[in-house]
Amino acid sequence: MSEPSLFDYRDVVGPDIIEELMILASHAGDRSIKMVNSTAVGGGVAEMLRRIVPLLSELGVQVEWEVIQGDEPFFEITKAFHNALQGNSRVFSEGELETYLRYNDMNEQEMAFDQDLIVIHDPQPAAMIRHHEHRKNRWVWRCHIDLSHPNEQLWRFMAPMIERYDAAIFTSALFSPSLKIPQYRFYPAIDPLDDKNKDLKETYIDEVFRRYKIPRDKPIVTQISRYDPWKDPVGVVKAFKLARKYVDCRLLLVGDRAADDPESDTILAKVEEEAGDHPDVHILLFSPSIATEINAFQRGSDIVLQKSLREGFALTVSEALWKRRPVIGGAVGGIPVQIIDGHTGLLAHTVEGAGLAIRSLLNQPDFAGQLGENGRCRVKDEFLITKNLKRYLLLLLALDKPQGGTVFLNA
Amino acid sequence: MGEVLQFRSSASLEKLTGTKAYTLAELLLMISTCTESSIFYHTFSAFLKMREVRLPYNSDFASWVYGSLNERALAEQMMAVDFFEYNTVESLRERLIGIIDGYRSFKPSAFEKKADEPFYLHDVQRFVYLTDKFAYDLKSFRELLPTISLYSLYYHFIESRLETKFQCDDFSIWIEESLAIPELAKRIRGIDIHVYTLEGLRERMIRLIDEYLLVRDNSAEKKRVKRKMRDQE
Repeated sequence: MSEPSLFDYRDVVGPDIIEELMILASHAGDRSIKMVNSTAVGGGVAEMLRRIVPLLSELGVQVEWEVIQGDEPFFEITKAFHNALQGNSRVFSEGELETYLRYNDMNEQEMAFDQDLIVIHDPQPAAMIRHHEHRKNRWVWRCHIDLSHPNEQLWRFMAPMIERYDAAIFTSALFSPSLKIPQYRFYPAIDPLDDKNKDLKETYIDEVFRRYKIPRDKPIVTQISRYDPWKDPVGVVKAFKLARKYVDCRLLLVGDRAADDPESDTILAKVEEEAGDHPDVHILLFSPSIATEINAFQRGSDIVLQKSLREGFALTVSEALWKRRPVIGGAVGGIPVQIIDGHTGLLAHTVEGAGLAIRSLLNQPDFAGQLGENGRCRVKDEFLITKNLKRYLLLLLALDKPQGGTVFLNA
Repeated sequence: MGEVLQFRSSASLEKLTGTKAYTLAELLLMISTCTESSIFYHTFSAFLKMREVRLPYNSDFASWVYGSLNERALAEQMMAVDFFEYNTVESLRERLIGIIDGYRSFKPSAFEKKADEPFYLHDVQRFVYLTDKFAYDLKSFRELLPTISLYSLYYHFIESRLETKFQCDDFSIWIEESLAIPELAKRIRGIDIHVYTLEGLRERMIRLIDEYLLVRDNSAEKKRVKRKMRDQE
């Protein structure tokens, strides 16, 4: 099946939103963007670029996407960079830092940077800026990771490079470091038309639940997350058991083993131990790549949980809210940005709080329904791919007015 | 015929400033020294950001004071500020400073509290643009009202006050000055935006216009019938 076009989004977000995107695009004229990242497939950034690039192009922006080349030693170093920038303590040798720079230099030689706006995604290609001190175009660093507590040694190495950019983009104020350049905020976004989020027929949802032997005879509370201690699946089972004393319901845990996490099996064993032989607890090991089934599990649930103890942005919350599901989320990372407590979902700080929230929502279906409706509105406003298209168009328009203030586009 | 109304709209690019406040004293300093566009973002724009929150909600500053410092009396005072009495951001800034400063003498201990979660100051770059929608009279205005984006509605009803420096929205100005319907303009100006979501505001305006058109059409019909009867006599 072909990828959805801009026109297909009209029915989802409303024609008014698409019309205004087209107006903004007409003001952006024939400006051009180049996106550079480190991988063409797999991972959230590539997934997002795979959709954003053709849609921007459809809006008339000349957009090019290039992926840097590297071998295993380089990507091992950049993976360590990724973890260290998110706070992992590790000491990098001179040799590792030099390898990182050398691969950036090699990639820089292979690419052309003639566009009006160059957007470099994440740390892997960030050092290419070093060769563009006297440039006519603008370079922006789009950081998708949490830089609030970076590894000190690595940040001393990276920060002077990042400050050579004209601006940086972060996902949230929570994740941004102190920098001398302007910083923009781009929330991450979901695509309402991809397999993970598109509308599904009720018969298909029924079939998926039947296939995995989950009876839909009573309310279903679901958490879809890796078996990872920070997602607190054990806490979810405990919260369910507290709620189950008062309300008849099932718990569905859907997740995969984290491939790079040896703790994953231990956590899964703990979850199974906590669940015991409770007939209403269903634990599935599932690959997140089976997107349509995940979609069906979310849509077929009465409550979706994301009871994390530590988080990045947790777009799974937006995915569930988009499906009008009432969501109970841990009050960490980007979850409170998506869940305005009591309005677009409920926040929980403890197992007991999560248990109480499950009881509260299952006993008040009207309230739960209203949270789901409000949640969908919030996602529509802030966390859809169409909003990110708008942000990129505005970024292009802002290039002419870096000093800020109000810009009257028709003036 | 009066002037044609070409609908406008606006969009914002949000900026992170790196400035945080953990205490009321820090918040006060932040509000005193930040850019006008930051004040604008955390107050006027809140109508747009939080439209699904069905509460009088008009200020990120007040929300933080309420949620993170638990200073409910101060939050209430900040929330109760009628923004539409302030047609410049500077005057609104002065008012907010006055409220927070005044609270110091009312409850000095509030200034010793430190929040777990700081207030993150944002800034914004605004873009205002013309849309391709035009209203020529009240009927075409009424027909277009359900189709304009919430951003457009927000621009005309809320943001435009900062540009016109009037204490009212520019829809009602157009209805009064170009369509010469002051009675309807007055009713639209009377809408209390602080208790409506933007979608609710749209519905309220549509209802007011429909009521006006119904009365006008009924009265025109009555006149027409009277005239016809007279002619027949």
